[in-house]
Amino acid sequence: MGAPVLTASDVCKRFGPVQALRNVDFRLEPGEVHALLGINGAGKSTFIKILSGALQKDSGTIRIGGEDVHFRAPEDAIRAGIATVQQHPELVPDMSGLDNIFLGRETASRSLMGRIDREALEARADALLARFAVPIDLSQEVGQMSAVEREAVAILQAIAVDGIRVLILDEPTSTLTDVEREDLFALMNQLRAQGIAIIYITHQLEEVFAIADSFSVFRGGACIARMSVEEARSSGVSLADLMLGEAVGDIFPPKADPDARGDVFLEVRDLSLTHGFENVSFTAHRGEILGLFGLVGSGCDELAKSIFGVDPPDQGEIRIHGKPVSLRKPREALDAGIFLVPGDRRTEGLALSRHSLFNVPMANLRRAAGGRWGLKSRQLRTDIQRLTDQVALHPPHLNTPASGFSGGNQQKIVLAKGLYSEADIYIFVEPTVGVDIGARAKIYGLMRELSERAAVIVVSSDCDEVHGVADRTIALHKGRQVEPESGVFSRDDLLMAGIMGEGSL
Amino acid sequence: MRTWKDRMRHSTRGLGFVALVLIVAAIFGVLEPRFLSYVSLNGIARHMAANGLAALGLTFVVIVRKFDLSIAGVAAFCAMSMGALIAAGWPLWSVILAGLALGAVIGGISGIAISRFGLPDIVTTIAVGSIGTGLAFIYTGGRSIFQNFFTSGITDLNDAKLMGLGVSMWLLVAIYALAWFVLSRTRTGLAFYATGENPMAAHFSGIATRRFVALAYVLCAMCTVLAVLLILAESGTAETNKGANLMMPAYAGVFLGAAIMGGTSVIASFGGILLITMLLDGFALMGLPYYYSDGVVSLILLIGVLAFSDGARGTLQALRFLFWPQKSTKPTAKGSDA
Ligand SMILES: Nc1ncnc2c1ncn2[C@@H]1O[C@H](COP(=O)(O)OP(=O)(O)OP(=O)(O)O)[C@@H](O)[C@H]1O
Ligand SMILES: [Mg+2]
Repeated sequence: MGAPVLTASDVCKRFGPVQALRNVDFRLEPGEVHALLGINGAGKSTFIKILSGALQKDSGTIRIGGEDVHFRAPEDAIRAGIATVQQHPELVPDMSGLDNIFLGRETASRSLMGRIDREALEARADALLARFAVPIDLSQEVGQMSAVEREAVAILQAIAVDGIRVLILDEPTSTLTDVEREDLFALMNQLRAQGIAIIYITHQLEEVFAIADSFSVFRGGACIARMSVEEARSSGVSLADLMLGEAVGDIFPPKADPDARGDVFLEVRDLSLTHGFENVSFTAHRGEILGLFGLVGSGCDELAKSIFGVDPPDQGEIRIHGKPVSLRKPREALDAGIFLVPGDRRTEGLALSRHSLFNVPMANLRRAAGGRWGLKSRQLRTDIQRLTDQVALHPPHLNTPASGFSGGNQQKIVLAKGLYSEADIYIFVEPTVGVDIGARAKIYGLMRELSERAAVIVVSSDCDEVHGVADRTIALHKGRQVEPESGVFSRDDLLMAGIMGEGSL
Repeated sequence: MRTWKDRMRHSTRGLGFVALVLIVAAIFGVLEPRFLSYVSLNGIARHMAANGLAALGLTFVVIVRKFDLSIAGVAAFCAMSMGALIAAGWPLWSVILAGLALGAVIGGISGIAISRFGLPDIVTTIAVGSIGTGLAFIYTGGRSIFQNFFTSGITDLNDAKLMGLGVSMWLLVAIYALAWFVLSRTRTGLAFYATGENPMAAHFSGIATRRFVALAYVLCAMCTVLAVLLILAESGTAETNKGANLMMPAYAGVFLGAAIMGGTSVIASFGGILLITMLLDGFALMGLPYYYSDGVVSLILLIGVLAFSDGARGTLQALRFLFWPQKSTKPTAKGSDA
């Protein structure tokens, strides 16, 4: 191989008491897809934020094409040919997808008065869409788009830059589903063929073998290994073990004993919501985990929110402990004993600028006040300390605002909030988005533990997750429920049911 | 692990605040020795009581991340309404209750329009405020009301003392203490903050966010009524322009306090309004014409918010980096952090 496109040496970054990066050494060869691996909080996003100019390093050097660079702002990095899709892309919600893609780059001229040529922009957008073929209406406002569509817009925005040498993707597939993932991989292959180097962050380790040429592993803020995928394959090292620094076994807990299945806690009959789902019926029992698999647009998310009273169903019946209920808002659902771990944690789950002591008790303020009005601060603190330990929040700081935690750890705060609410029925939507493999095992274990006293429903667009953790599974396709013929889905049948619908079985 | 660091940070900010107050007092004391006289300090206390009550009401609204620009209008209308009731011979306590009820209704109208019907807060409160300003003229067509003021006992609110401190100051302290307890020690307070931080997440957590937004406006208007009551007590007449000078100091107090203390809170507003009132009275004593006072307050507000903003800290760090680019933190040991 030729000279590396990008090298970093001795890069350090500290956030207050947290040393996020310690003496990171890193190398990226031209035309390679390089995976960046590491558990939540290992420092991956921090590192790429530095590479992309979103953060400044404390010390160390970064070289691009052999030249020292110091990026003060994202524009500097873009000018140097580094295009980035951040883990949580910042888009302008009130602008259309198209305007977001070309924001600040509408015209070739840099003058403020440069006229914007709509047709030319649309033509450029079409050209981009030809390369990354996601079905998406770019005239829609970004604020109205689903998480997948927003991610797609962010990717289009990144590749719209001319003359990129390096493309950085921070966990794009944590929001994308299997279908768009294939499109993304096709795009990456295309870019690689043009000699563009790609840094790719993911927690889905099988993706490393599917797309990457080489990978680096971050642990505790340091880059502890660099290897080619060939090498890893032939030597048979376990990526998970490398990341965690210890051996991980099976990440899924054992299935429940079918005889130990308890009472029906939640029953849903012929539930329908316009533009959401139709005639969905199922039961959820204490003592088991029910899995609901569906891609984006399958109505899964809508169904979960509907049961939780966010968007009450138009038709059908919900029974809790056998009694019919009508839940018209989350408050009523919480009172009835349902807790929803929402899919979009940053907008629906957390007050990002607040710490765990604020976020965790939010869904059960009654408990926080011991049934009275004044808060029981000491009790609150010990309870929250216990829960954050239980979900393995890292770093275990109760007073750090949620925005100061890595993506996966933010999810753990939401989980702690769910545990604090002490519900009877838990609905987890995409519970492990962005969560590393070690923490995932822990979360699945927690769900199993929870299921001993509560009914647990896992809603996910990750087929392996649903199949792996649930005792019983249902698929949703375009709002319609797909049931297995034989009573149980095999993993492949579940996947087909979710992707193709009824006819596939 | 009790986070003593956090407490330290909090108390350093608090100490910084106290130091700032002392420095301002010292500067005025040197420039104008009368500033530290009993009469002047007494005046500051009285003005602070009125300004502080308005700022406290605004604090609730700012916590739910909204604005209330109707304070002046509400103050004018309620001042004239209470004046008219006093003139009509109503006993003082019933006048106060009626004023509070009127404030609650007006605040409720803004609050429900904004939270329930989703009207933009700024436009709605400007409109409600303007209507209030207009309605202030219905009683007398703009003439001031002073009948019965001295016999009604309202002036005692200004003059009477309890253990050496004016009753108005006691009122302020009592209401601030109550608000502090509610906002920082009860679940209602958590719900208020949650509503402001992320209304969607709060809604998903079962918090009745609309109700808290509406309640914030109700409380803001009621506090404004109390503030204007003290102004009536001080001047002994009700005039349509009473309360015109409440709004700017209230905003300045809340935002300056928040900037210095690192967040909106009852304590921050208390400190902020103390500082603002001292500055206002100090400048007045030094002969600054009243028509400049809003300008001066606003200027101080801008400087204060800028000085304490993250942006300013970032700029300072960037400057440091420019001058000492090599002076960066090398990690000490390769161990586990924290
Ligand atoms: N803005 C911030 N303020 C304070 N601490 C931060 C901030 N951003 C990151 N950190 C800390 O730096 C460390 C590294 O975080 P980073 O986001 O880089 O992790 P990551 O490897 O991307 O994890 P994930 O897989 O969960 O996204 C974490 O311990 C995190 O708490
Ligand atoms: Mg990350």
